[in-house]
Amino acid sequence: MWFTIDFHSHTPVYVQIKDSIKALILKGKLKTGDYIPSIRNLAKDIGVNINTVARAYRELELDGVIKSERGEGYVVVGVESEKIKEGLKVEMMKLLNKCKISGISEDDLIELVRKIYKDL
Amino acid sequence: MILKVENLRKYFGKKNIIRAVDGASFEIERGDVFALLGLNGAGKTTTIKCILDLCKRDTGEIIYNGRDKIAYVPEGKELYGSYKVKKMIEVAKHITEGFDIDKCLEFISEFGIPLDEKVSSLSNGQATQLYLALVLSQRAELYIFDEPTWGLDPVIRNKILDTIKSIPLNGGTVFYTSHILGEVERVADKIAIMHKGKILEIGFLDDIKGSYCAVSIEKMQSKSRSEELGTYGYLYKSTESEDIYIVKKDYAQERNLDFQPIPFELTFEALVLGQKDQGEESNEVR
Repeated sequence: MWFTIDFHSHTPVYVQIKDSIKALILKGKLKTGDYIPSIRNLAKDIGVNINTVARAYRELELDGVIKSERGEGYVVVGVESEKIKEGLKVEMMKLLNKCKISGISEDDLIELVRKIYKDL
Repeated sequence: MILKVENLRKYFGKKNIIRAVDGASFEIERGDVFALLGLNGAGKTTTIKCILDLCKRDTGEIIYNGRDKIAYVPEGKELYGSYKVKKMIEVAKHITEGFDIDKCLEFISEFGIPLDEKVSSLSNGQATQLYLALVLSQRAELYIFDEPTWGLDPVIRNKILDTIKSIPLNGGTVFYTSHILGEVERVADKIAIMHKGKILEIGFLDDIKGSYCAVSIEKMQSKSRSEELGTYGYLYKSTESEDIYIVKKDYAQERNLDFQPIPFELTFEALVLGQKDQGEESNEVR
């Protein structure tokens, strides 16, 4: 498991770690029951302090995304993908509103949506 | 907690006119990479010197909880120029308690420093790396670096930062000073921002980053709000129609103001420059 961290972003580093792990789960690269790297190893691999990774893992555990198996490390529980998808839809609606205000036509947008979904 | 500095004061000059360190307090936990951040002359080096007893403090308490001596890389990294690298290492072994020469040689080969080169003919970057290798080979729980990357090119700088960053992986704790914000963002997890000898902000970098924001106020529309912000926030910019203030996010949220996230540089600027006037005022009061 490896991902980049933007140290200069205004998004806190521990939040970036959380988001990246959640994204890996959503994409199916990490599955329920998979072990993720130890705090120490991830810290080393992505060049982040141990405290910061520990904080991300602690919060992921609180969110029910991972759990610690005694002496074994951390294991993926899963993400509430519906909840995340709902969140994305809300963001999409905001963006669509902006599009509407800027005068982009419904047909143009529908065409865009079709294009994206066909490509995937 | 490995190091605790409480209400440290060190004044210099006639009638103690220069308040180099003016009531600074902070704590460093084991495993931290703690950065003391500030402009030149903020009091960072004096703080370090007081911690190491290289400089007598006026008042305050310094508690060091480690068993071993503190390892220290000073700002001016002076070594014996006429010695060859190899001899320099042998001398360091001789004068340093708990010095691991094998570890040192490993660092030297990793950094690619020729053992038969004279210390004085090493480049600035190599000299820093040699110093770092010597200090990192010393058995210590706390490592202090004073502006370790000053004047180095980005490649060497990154190597050195990576080395510093890996110290907690081996059980050590780091306390370092810098005025280069981008570097601090990469390396430190906890920071203290120092200005004119005082600590203005302290905590996890991640928390500090998230706790300030920018709000923009239409000049014509809300004069009272502008005035309130003028006393509370830091006026970052004034455009034709609006004033942009840097404020705490809590403040903006409580008042339902639209806010935007800001980069760390801006938070630093707001804290340090926003403090200038207040600092001078409080000096007058005293």
